[in-house]
Amino acid sequence: MFRKLYLLYGALVLSSAGFGQYRGWSLDTVNQLKNVPKSVRDNPGSYRSVYSGYHHYTGGK
Amino acid sequence: MSAGTPPLSGPPKPQARALNCPKCGAAITLHSFGQAVTVVCASCHSILDAKDPNLAILQRFEAATRDVKPLIPLGTRGKLRGTDYELIGFQRRSTQVDGITYYWHEYVLFNPYKGIRYLSEYNGHWNDISICKTLPIADGGGANYLGETYKHFQSADADTDFVLGEFPWQVRVGEKAAVTDYVHPPRVLSGEKLDKEVTWSIGEYMYGREIWESFKLPGDPPAPIGVYENQPSPVTLNVTGMWVAFAAFAVFLLVLMAVFDMRAKKEPVLQETYQYNRAESKAETSFVTDVFELTGHTSTVEVKTFAPVSNHWIYLNYALINQDSGQAWDFGREVSYYSGYDSDGSWTEGKQHDSVVIPSVPPGHYYLRIEPEADPSLPNIPYTVEVIHDVPVFGIYGIAFLALLVPVVIISFRAYTFERSRWSESDHPPMELSSSSGDDE
Repeated sequence: MFRKLYLLYGALVLSSAGFGQYRGWSLDTVNQLKNVPKSVRDNPGSYRSVYSGYHHYTGGK
Repeated sequence: MSAGTPPLSGPPKPQARALNCPKCGAAITLHSFGQAVTVVCASCHSILDAKDPNLAILQRFEAATRDVKPLIPLGTRGKLRGTDYELIGFQRRSTQVDGITYYWHEYVLFNPYKGIRYLSEYNGHWNDISICKTLPIADGGGANYLGETYKHFQSADADTDFVLGEFPWQVRVGEKAAVTDYVHPPRVLSGEKLDKEVTWSIGEYMYGREIWESFKLPGDPPAPIGVYENQPSPVTLNVTGMWVAFAAFAVFLLVLMAVFDMRAKKEPVLQETYQYNRAESKAETSFVTDVFELTGHTSTVEVKTFAPVSNHWIYLNYALINQDSGQAWDFGREVSYYSGYDSDGSWTEGKQHDSVVIPSVPPGHYYLRIEPEADPSLPNIPYTVEVIHDVPVFGIYGIAFLALLVPVVIISFRAYTFERSRWSESDHPPMELSSSSGDDE
């Protein structure tokens, strides 16, 4: 019973890993945006990065 | 026969013999005919010789144990594993271990054509017991019966302290027998030594609900407490098989990883080195790269950054923008590297390179918008940006490996704790239990 369930589960995990790899899944998180104006290419400063100004230096050890 | 009890199957039924107790005159009915050796008067608790036509009194015992009531009433009939049986006898037995008395109950079942078998009950755990057909081979550590190996579980003296009904042997209250149990779940092999005679019986674990269904008893059986000596583990049988399955899955995962690694394009689509100048940072620092094309199916895009910083940092606001659709992936990456000496010796922190993998990027024409920031004390610094299309993400395999491993570890742990509970009640407790109990003394 457990073994059959595990076999099914394992097959699902392997399929998911394969599918994820094929579809380009990643463990990194990035913010996705839509409809960025084409004018950004000519005027990069018109684009406001989500992360702009987020960085706060904390220094080394 | 009561109207509610099912009839015993088979050829014409022998008649039960009705007699009277020579002590109190109460009516006694012998159900097991020639098989009963002793019968106990339910009224005065005299143990009578069932072989004697006058039912000679063999023993009288004080039924101070009025609270001892069989869970299955005498005379109850039921179908146990396909055979009709009538419950004709009941005894309570006990054993003392470390000053604690443990009680269990045994029920005598009778079928005129199949003979006698027994049920035992302890803390809600039941066993279907019959006398061994061949003599087991036993030594101190184990026993072998019908080709099956049994492990020694415990040896103890068992007292009989309450009896009721008919018995196919000379039962006596106060009788002591040396009992040795060997287990091979779900079976238990028991040797019961009385005087110089050893009687071997084989039992198979049963759940209370099976007994209740067999005898059509009202209500629910008592819930089992703890783990019994021959109780089958719900998981133990699967552990080896699951580890084998896990090993097979791990191999498949390696194959999958190798296949995807080989077919991944790992195609560099952009590699540029830029210079960050603080003097120019007063003005707009953001800029865009050349357009590059991503071909094929939706896949990953890796953005690598390298900056030769030392005790400084540089931070890059990135946006990967699809020129045609306006879809964008926005992210910020820091490259920082620090080193020095303190009382613990030399230390380093951070790296001069960074990498991020953007998930599921469709094919198309893209460019990067980059907006650098840097340590105010840094006048200028070069940094290299590299974009690689369709890279494998090994972390997915790591997660899949863990996802495969965790259930097996959980099942193994459950199996271990179950077996530990089982053997903690034996003469061979697990090492840590025996040492901890030694510490307590």
